[in-house]
Amino acid sequence: MGKPPFRGPLERINDYCWRIPRSYKPGMLVEGRIYADERLLREIRGGQAPDQVANVAFLPGIQCASLALPDIHWGYGFTIGGVCATDPDEGGVISPGGVGYDINCGVRLVRSNLNLEQVRPRLPQLVESLFRRIPLGVGRGGAYRFDSRELKILLAEGAGYLERRGLATRRDIEFTEAGGRLENAEPDRVSERALQRGANQCGSLGSGNHFLELQVVDEIFDEEAASIMGLHRDGVCVMIHSGSRGLGYQVCDDALKMLRGVPEKYGIRLPDPQLACAPVDSSEGRHYLATMAAAGNFAWCNRQLLMWQTRQVFAEHFGSPWTELGMELVYDVAHNIAKHEEHVIEGKTKKVWVHRKGATRAFPPHHDQIPQAYRAVGQPVMIPGDMGRASWVLVGRPGSMEQTFGTTCHGAGRAMSRTAAVKASRGRRIDRELAERGVVVRSRSLRGLAEEQPAAYKDVDLVVDVVQRAGLSQKVARMRPIGVIKG
Amino acid sequence: MYELFEHTADLGLRVNAPDLPSLFREAAEGLFSVIVAEIPRRAPAREVRIRVEAERMDYLLVDWLHELLFLFETERLLLDGFDVEIHDTRLSATARAWTVDDARDSLLHEVKAVTYHRLRVEQTERGWLAEMILDI
Repeated sequence: MGKPPFRGPLERINDYCWRIPRSYKPGMLVEGRIYADERLLREIRGGQAPDQVANVAFLPGIQCASLALPDIHWGYGFTIGGVCATDPDEGGVISPGGVGYDINCGVRLVRSNLNLEQVRPRLPQLVESLFRRIPLGVGRGGAYRFDSRELKILLAEGAGYLERRGLATRRDIEFTEAGGRLENAEPDRVSERALQRGANQCGSLGSGNHFLELQVVDEIFDEEAASIMGLHRDGVCVMIHSGSRGLGYQVCDDALKMLRGVPEKYGIRLPDPQLACAPVDSSEGRHYLATMAAAGNFAWCNRQLLMWQTRQVFAEHFGSPWTELGMELVYDVAHNIAKHEEHVIEGKTKKVWVHRKGATRAFPPHHDQIPQAYRAVGQPVMIPGDMGRASWVLVGRPGSMEQTFGTTCHGAGRAMSRTAAVKASRGRRIDRELAERGVVVRSRSLRGLAEEQPAAYKDVDLVVDVVQRAGLSQKVARMRPIGVIKG
Repeated sequence: MYELFEHTADLGLRVNAPDLPSLFREAAEGLFSVIVAEIPRRAPAREVRIRVEAERMDYLLVDWLHELLFLFETERLLLDGFDVEIHDTRLSATARAWTVDDARDSLLHEVKAVTYHRLRVEQTERGWLAEMILDI
């Protein structure tokens, strides 16, 4: 079972959007649409991700189309880089596979007043301090302990709970998607196993593709938006990528176990068991949404605590409080989540469940769900690329509401499997190669670095070009990595 | 016998075995080969007992491996030396357990879960075959 190329139809809608017609597979309720240019489309055709886009079109209540963004790659069940919206009023379902095991995996960006020339001389020591202080690695817990009562409050209240504990500021909460809290969380429905897995992991990075990266603003494309976000050329920032750790994995696992036999019970026919789902308005659907929200709140707290620890390391390193270093949160976005949102569909305003699996909310200017400070320019979107080339800051554009349920891409997307990446790096030291490019890397695993090397990913610049040209989001700043820590 | 196969973002695990207990044992060994570079050679800390029950054989495999992941994550146990018994779709097993020593054990991957995507447990001419995608 390798990776056979996709041989189905991909019809050109325009230069940046391609259609998989409903006729491709009997049972598709809507068409599939993939955002890509011809070059990226050639790569996408090389695997089975388009087939997964077609499979998602089987979900009852799906609206408009099963969508995929240019960072699409083969996932399990849903494609990574996929979006779908379901309407409960039309029998719409919720699918835990459309959110994934790492519920509310996401990215946040912290700006600073520091310039590259202030950081460069002490970069190796700074990266080393972060590596030693930020809990990371396979299955590793964090520095914070919450007893079961506190953990349940955290799951219910999200990042706001940390503000009450003195571990977040009001501004941090305001600049987090959804204010760092999904309101329908019901911690009492979260299993004891999930609570146990999460008990000591809040404030830990994890491993795999999660990272904490020091970046420098390389180029500004939108002066007004960059200025509002506090980004300036050569300014040093920190990007943090992590999710809900073991608690989220267990919540998803519990849900999929609960859903065994459930699609059949509701007469739902699915081409892949990982797409298991239940009507939103069913006991199973409500149960999953209540636990997913709790895990989502955990993830926002996790990234908040990672940021809080980072600020402390910077403060010690530069001998100034983090507030004086200007280490404010630019924004925090989720890229594995289901959100209940209002969208205009075929002229009617509907409240739908938008599943984003490896995709980022990108609301346009004037949307009431984004902080007042960003209303004029649109919601900031952080797009991590790879640890050798670049990452991006974008803002949402009106086209995202018209075409993709207010969504854009979430990263570069993998171009190489983990095994192929390790094979390609045989005999090479990725950390030394990156050092030659001016990037200081500390990782607990050389193999992990090989799997995550820059060549394993698509060129994020190409991905971002597509979402800009398609009108989904707009470039604000290109960021260049200078330091990375990984588990 | 187990082998890993390619998946773009994650890892695939394929197991061939003459009988079901061997299939489940090899799958567990395959899982820990993804988690840790080498099972410790030092004396095990203890023995663990595991019981799992499911309504189907493929679900039993998922639940068995998830039980091992849970032990790894909550107690930081590396497991090996599996002795597995299966009756219908009920499994009971013992395993040797080592507590992770960060100075000595080289951990490779955080396996988030065993997914249901292309999950297979099938009888073949030579015994049993299982395939699964691990979310990394």
